[in-house]
Amino acid sequence: MTFIADVLLLTAAAFVLISLAVVYRLVRGPTMQDRVIAVNVIGSNIVVIIALIAAANDDPSALDIAIVYALLNFLMSIAISKFTVERGGVL
Amino acid sequence: MSAVEFALIAFVLACGVATAMLRDVLAAIIAFAAYSLGIAVIWILLRAPDVGLTEAAVGAGVTTVLFLLTIAKTVRPAGERTLERIDLPALGVAVVLVGILATTLGALPPVGGAETPVITSEVTQYYLDNAYTETEVKNAVTAVLAGYRGFDTLGEAVVVYAAGVGILVVLQREVFA
Repeated sequence: MTFIADVLLLTAAAFVLISLAVVYRLVRGPTMQDRVIAVNVIGSNIVVIIALIAAANDDPSALDIAIVYALLNFLMSIAISKFTVERGGVL
Repeated sequence: MSAVEFALIAFVLACGVATAMLRDVLAAIIAFAAYSLGIAVIWILLRAPDVGLTEAAVGAGVTTVLFLLTIAKTVRPAGERTLERIDLPALGVAVVLVGILATTLGALPPVGGAETPVITSEVTQYYLDNAYTETEVKNAVTAVLAGYRGFDTLGEAVVVYAAGVGILVVLQREVFA
């Protein structure tokens, strides 16, 4: 069990490192669409990371947070995208 | 500290610095949303899923939309630079403040420690024994927050009320439409 937990946590760490690489795109841009996609990728990664940590720690309640994040990630991207098209329009 | 924690702290730091340095406020808001995502995973790693859930709802969801509404009433910065120039005196003050706050870290109990005041204090056992009979509330947490710590909660309510009044003053409006 501990071996599997270690593998899951290491996978989660790898996903965090991928997110860290995406932060470069978030900073550089150059357009706002790049940044929206970047934060969307990070959000999707975070959902996977939470699911991996929930499995590694044998803590199913964390999966609820993963679901909330999957929903919010979508909402956040839509809000920012709409804002870039129609300035001042949120949701 | 495991590999996940190191990677997460690096990620959160990178997002925090990006939030502080980016000149375009919309880009800064996006970086802040990413920061909030990383912090929530740290809460889950520290076995505080309720805080993680609140961070998800407030940090990533509500705050982003509130910030977007805020910048709808402001203007973009002039010039082509992507990053803000570092204000060295302000940086010095921030570093000193972090240093002063860091000196209190040694006084914190270890994560999950059995000797923390929450567990050893006799007040905890008193609440568990008497909360239901004394306050006649169905939930012990509600009994502590609204009953035993009523004045503390009143203070928090005053803070929230003051924040609401402050928003109305800034927006120059009389009601939340």
